[in-house]
Amino acid sequence: MTGTSRAYPVVALSGLLLLLGVLLALPLYIADRPFELRMAILIFLFAVMGQGWNVLGGFAGQVSIGHGLYFGLGAYTAVLLAVKFGVNPWLGMLAGTALASLCGVLVGIPCFRLRGHYFVIATLVVAESVFQVFTVWEWVGSAVGIELPVKSEGWINFQFHRDKTPYYYIALTMLVVVTAGLWWLRRSRIGFLLRAIRDDEEAVRSLGFSPHLYKSLAMAISAGILGAAGVFHAQYVLFVDPFSVLGLHISVMVALFAILGGTGTLAGPILGAAILVPLSEYSRVHFSGSGRNVDLLIYGFLIMVIAVYRPDGLMGLLRSRPVLTMLDRLGLRSVLLQSPHIKNIRKGNSHAA
Amino acid sequence: MFRKRRIIPVVVAAALALAGGDVLAADPVKVGALYPLSGQVAKSGEDTLNGIRLAIEIINKDYPDLKMPFAAGEGLPGLNGALIELVAADHQGSPEIGMAEAERLIVQEKVAALIGAFHSSVAATSSQVAERMGTPYISGESEASTLTERGYRWFFRTTPSSRTQARDFFVFLRDLNKNRDAPIKTIAVVHENTLWGQEFAKSVAGYFKEFSEFQPSIVVGYQQGTSDVTSEVQRLIAAKPDVVFHASYDAEAILFARTYKQFNFNPQGVLAIGAAFGSNAFRDALGPDANYFLVREHWSRDLADRNPLVGQVAKMYRERFGKDMDGTPARAFTAMMVLADAINRAGSTEPEKIRAALAATRMPPEATIMPWEGVQFDETGQNTLTRGIFVQTLDGVPKMVWPAELAVAKLVWPRPVWR
Repeated sequence: MTGTSRAYPVVALSGLLLLLGVLLALPLYIADRPFELRMAILIFLFAVMGQGWNVLGGFAGQVSIGHGLYFGLGAYTAVLLAVKFGVNPWLGMLAGTALASLCGVLVGIPCFRLRGHYFVIATLVVAESVFQVFTVWEWVGSAVGIELPVKSEGWINFQFHRDKTPYYYIALTMLVVVTAGLWWLRRSRIGFLLRAIRDDEEAVRSLGFSPHLYKSLAMAISAGILGAAGVFHAQYVLFVDPFSVLGLHISVMVALFAILGGTGTLAGPILGAAILVPLSEYSRVHFSGSGRNVDLLIYGFLIMVIAVYRPDGLMGLLRSRPVLTMLDRLGLRSVLLQSPHIKNIRKGNSHAA
Repeated sequence: MFRKRRIIPVVVAAALALAGGDVLAADPVKVGALYPLSGQVAKSGEDTLNGIRLAIEIINKDYPDLKMPFAAGEGLPGLNGALIELVAADHQGSPEIGMAEAERLIVQEKVAALIGAFHSSVAATSSQVAERMGTPYISGESEASTLTERGYRWFFRTTPSSRTQARDFFVFLRDLNKNRDAPIKTIAVVHENTLWGQEFAKSVAGYFKEFSEFQPSIVVGYQQGTSDVTSEVQRLIAAKPDVVFHASYDAEAILFARTYKQFNFNPQGVLAIGAAFGSNAFRDALGPDANYFLVREHWSRDLADRNPLVGQVAKMYRERFGKDMDGTPARAFTAMMVLADAINRAGSTEPEKIRAALAATRMPPEATIMPWEGVQFDETGQNTLTRGIFVQTLDGVPKMVWPAELAVAKLVWPRPVWR
């Protein structure tokens, strides 16, 4: 199997480059269509967030429904630094990423002691507590939120008013960098250890590795990515309030995109975002306005369909036999799906069972 | 393409238009409306938008019996009878979507002005877009005080901000004190902890300087959705305030009223912002105990006693949408009328002219359905002529009791002790 996918790296690589080329050229066609441009930006943003979630939730198997917390912390950090201390937003992005990372590790210290459902509940509770604190904390604008002052547009100020194309390229760059980084991470020793933790934490411990350490590392990377995405969001909307950056719906959405796309895979969160964002946007535009929430009903229904028929996510579709055969031919299998190594172990397990 | 035969009717029509006025109507004026039409507050968003729809219907169609601007005759006379076309957009309560929709409405739909946005957070981001693009923006119901403190040129607000609303409470008490030997002195504030309750508490705290005869007592914040307020009420009892100001939603309003009775807590008066302490749910739940609570309202059907226009508009609203009008649709209705008035006076859809006309707005009280002294904006874009009313539930029916010249029933003060 490894052989077949290694045999066509050129095909795989050229496929990816072609896709990248199309994405780079896309703004030329949609620059004068704000709706589509914004949708593309949102897809990239959510894909980045999904990737971030995936490091902890997918690779290491620690499902969090409180990841909106790190998104919000990133957003707030950059905005507060800019408003209170006049710090440049790019530095704010570094600070937001670092702070989110740090908070992730701190949250992990008590939470990683918990397993399974209790870990999930703990992440939710922490995120919700921080949300409540931010709604009453005067210095961070409490429930009113903070507006970023409008500055002259340009790369230095990270603000673009008339033409939003730069936001598109920034978001795309973030997605490419994050995806490439995670591609490397997955194949690294850390990546294998994380997946081993997901499959059997005790086994990892008995081999002399500290699961807590590696989970903390996954959390740091995961939360940092969410933090960076939060800074981008704040610079894009120029406004933060607890509800729109720390709300529970963000945590749920991030997890949803990654889970529906396919946890533990690199393409999963991208696929999830690429399908769910347009779905939600078009259903909002075409079916809302009646006051009857038809758009959200349709959205929810489709999610239910996917959950029932493809519980392993949209990436599960790719694992059906005809698609697998085709992917092998193209050499895309190892790029899109889990690494063959893990796949074999799993197969062995299922035979044993 | 053009043959002579085709040109003749056009020329005839143009001549008729010049002669008869509105045979050929001018292009419609597009107004973009940003409201939450799906999600948690979809119902309220829809009700509010209905207020705007009704205003546009009154402008666009001929209602000779209605004594208000633009009711008689079709369209805006200042633009050769141009009709107003509503382009509604759903922002789901998200500041990000609100921003994107504002952009879409301005760039793609080419609206002449924006109206919105229910949520103050969405008004913040969407008006920022309007400010950047130079599009007039009017808000009839987004109350966060900060919105008009940003120094924006293109943002106008007809509704009182939360700060102004808090001021009404003090004005009311000062008015009461005029006829009292033992003046009302200490004020406690009970508020829920979301944006609305917090803004109210903060605003109240800011007025003790201007109204120095009053003293702040305790401020009690609580989490919205709480199921027990015993400790909150005990803190109030210990503080013994003369009056309590309340910012609560329905469920907690009922809870507080019951707990007040349970502990026999008897301040001279309980004054609430928002409709919770006079709502149907509140009266159904508490029966006779719902009496004597005072609610600061924006609007009441009782206003029809003095201004027949209120009754007519409320009736139309009821007929169109099968629901009674309340303060929020009434304010959105008024904002739309103010915007239409400005566009009409501008005689053009040019943004700069509409903005200038908005800034020069002088709308007399009798032209609106509000209890206000009219509409006139200060340099921040805030309407300075707003006024609140106080409604007290008496024998199970909410009655307007203040200001005196609009009152339909006599205020009961202090409230009788619990029985």
